[in-house]
Amino acid sequence: MSTAVGRLVRAELRLMTRDPLVLTFVFAFPIVTMLIIGGAFGTTPTPGFDNVNPAHWYVASYLTVVIAATGLVMLPVHLASYRERGVLRRFAAAGFPRWSFAIAQLIVGLLTTAVACALLLIVAAPVYGVPAVHDGWRVAVALPLGAIAFVSIGVLLGSLLPSARAAQAVGLLIFFPSFLLGAGGPPPHVMGSVVRQVAGPLPLTLLTNAVRAPWLGLGPATGSLIGVAVLAVAASAAAARRTVL
Amino acid sequence: MVVDGLDLDVPAGEIVGLIGANGAGKTTTVECVQGLRKPDRGQLRVLGFDPVTQAEQLRPLVGSQLQHSALPDRLRVAEALDLFSTPRARDGGELLEQFGLAQRRRSVFSSLSGGEQQRLFLVLALLNRPRLVILDELTQGLDPAARRNVWTAIRQLNDEGTTVLLVTHEMDEAEALCGRVVVLRAGQVIDAGAPADLVERHASTAVIRFSLADPPAPLLDQVRRLDGVREVSRAGDQITVRGHRRIIAYVGAVLVRWESVPADLSVQVPSLEDALIGLLDGDQRDQAEAAAVIPKDTELIGGRR
Repeated sequence: MSTAVGRLVRAELRLMTRDPLVLTFVFAFPIVTMLIIGGAFGTTPTPGFDNVNPAHWYVASYLTVVIAATGLVMLPVHLASYRERGVLRRFAAAGFPRWSFAIAQLIVGLLTTAVACALLLIVAAPVYGVPAVHDGWRVAVALPLGAIAFVSIGVLLGSLLPSARAAQAVGLLIFFPSFLLGAGGPPPHVMGSVVRQVAGPLPLTLLTNAVRAPWLGLGPATGSLIGVAVLAVAASAAAARRTVL
Repeated sequence: MVVDGLDLDVPAGEIVGLIGANGAGKTTTVECVQGLRKPDRGQLRVLGFDPVTQAEQLRPLVGSQLQHSALPDRLRVAEALDLFSTPRARDGGELLEQFGLAQRRRSVFSSLSGGEQQRLFLVLALLNRPRLVILDELTQGLDPAARRNVWTAIRQLNDEGTTVLLVTHEMDEAEALCGRVVVLRAGQVIDAGAPADLVERHASTAVIRFSLADPPAPLLDQVRRLDGVREVSRAGDQITVRGHRRIIAYVGAVLVRWESVPADLSVQVPSLEDALIGLLDGDQRDQAEAAAVIPKDTELIGGRR
């Protein structure tokens, strides 16, 4: 790959391997919490988990935690740090095409989520088992759409927030409530009605519904899938505009 | 407003320096030239392109070494060359060799010293055979040997036909490299010209000092009458002569003729730095200098204005 995007992707992937701590949150946090929460409610199907194995419910949910961690925590800090230190100015002045950096970040973000999701499933398989996918094409559409949406949100946050520290603070502030309410926290049946109403329209809740329901055979979740698609288009357009060199 | 009504024309193939005090608008100007900042109004053409609307065509033709920029901390020197190389790039290895970075190919950016980082930025600026090179604080943080090395490279580059726009606070650098210097103050050009012309216009006073025990009155009288001498003063044995720089030759000739060349003869030649200070400070400095240089026990022997 000798195009500008190719050179940027290659450099970013190299840098990632040199700084594995950066990836810890994206790779380790979802796996560790999945192992803890997945075992907390046993493996017997109950009505609170739509009559599916609670451990499988969480395995299907935690892929979206990986996506959110990449988009809301890793990328904003990375980008804000680049902007703060003048790395983006250098790319711009060096004649990198205007959209090359945004596209490269999208590719790197998608590759990171793909690898982290695969790792999560590899760890889950011997412990809880990986549930069979009932509606493969919907899951196959929802996951990349969700990844595009959250990677774009991350790029957008990184381009808006003034410093790497601010990006970290805001990213974590958005990530944890989204995580607890929409993907990896307590099951909806133990939440109060107000909390459930707040959780419902959150982007991570929509994405988790769009992946988990067709995966576990709980329904098509078309409304959630459309919401994720709209978010992906809007966020990627805004991110591309903001990160133009 | 940082830059206001700036009229700047950089002919192809020249080395033009932008000088001025901090906040004069030098960096803002070069950022506009590169399309990194959009001017509120006015016309800007660089190599025939509008830097904002035609950035895609222009930027590959411009190499720049910016203030306030960096590379990713863990990026290695050789990888930076790979990242910034376009198909028209020259041999990066040769450039690393030329700027003393060949041994640092595998070093990560954050481990380089300030001077090495600066040299790497210069290598990257020159890598893709640019037609215009913009250098902002080119030799900041470099040791004297490295500075000379960089100056040689810039002259070579210019000999090959590359236009160079140099922003600097180092007046010796501007004098050594630039065919033309543009002086900015508060975002406006206050003067421009060859460094020697600026010195002539704004700091032509040379100062000669020497000691002579009981100097013959005719000698002092002869010095005072020399063409270009503005002031001759004496404090004890020390004699100070001020005037146009041509007095350096004339005073020397008088001393030789009188066979009394003092061992402590010293000459202070006006420089571009003096010209810049003169331009920026104007009369205030003249007064301060006059008060500082002539102590109370100095006898003013004579002078002309």
